[in-house]
Amino acid sequence: MMEAQPIYWTHYVATCLFALGLLGFLIRKNAITVLMCLELMLNAANLILVELSMRTGTPDGIIMVVFVITVAAAEVAVGLGIVLNLYRLKETVELDAFKSLQG
Amino acid sequence: MKELFFIFFSLYTIAAALGVVLAKNPVYSAFSLILSFFGLSALYVMWGATFIGMIQILVYTGAIVVLFVFVVMLLDLGSVVTDHSHSWLTVMVSAIAVWFFSLLMLRTFNHTPLVAPATPLAESNTRLISQLLFTEYLWPFEILSIFLLALIIAIYALTRPDAADKRKVHP
Repeated sequence: MMEAQPIYWTHYVATCLFALGLLGFLIRKNAITVLMCLELMLNAANLILVELSMRTGTPDGIIMVVFVITVAAAEVAVGLGIVLNLYRLKETVELDAFKSLQG
Repeated sequence: MKELFFIFFSLYTIAAALGVVLAKNPVYSAFSLILSFFGLSALYVMWGATFIGMIQILVYTGAIVVLFVFVVMLLDLGSVVTDHSHSWLTVMVSAIAVWFFSLLMLRTFNHTPLVAPATPLAESNTRLISQLLFTEYLWPFEILSIFLLALIIAIYALTRPDAADKRKVHP
């Protein structure tokens, strides 16, 4: 019995979200907005994990999402701490201002 | 009816994400991010992952975005409109690269063979998640808690006031 391949629109939604996050990561210059775009990419990955987990009937993907959310919170805290230090150094958060490797 | 809600929340989430990328002001980006997370939470609940939907609202909009807005307020960037955009060439090349990358991702997602569920997950699977978290996934859970403890110390060392003064460069 052959059926047409069903279209899973969640794949398209997650890909759109990931693409938007990646695009923002590449074209934005504000360090804080770049961190927000990172969050968008992590959320696209979470959406795919939840969808596949529910479709295959295994709860492992959902537990992975719990871990991802925890690590995302940690990553934001560290990232914003670094942004604070950068602002103290150069009085700006534009990423183009940070060119020298030697602080 | 469910399809209608799914389409609505999908478009809403993508529109809010577009707002994050395109807004010039970081405060507007942060609030678009909140809207996007609410839409994502609705999508999780529609897939049956109610616990993740709740955690999404509590942790993401309650903690992470508040942290973003707090840092924007602390640095007094709210009134600064950052208008230094990249050149059109950079934007076009980035968009084309992202386009090809997303085509690749879609192909991978759509052509991955999946085993049909013998028993689909129940609508309320919070009990199952918590049981797994404390039996099969106990070690990752504990490692994560130690990781968070290390993180608290690291962030304190990173952002304490006298740490930046020592490194400050006087041009």
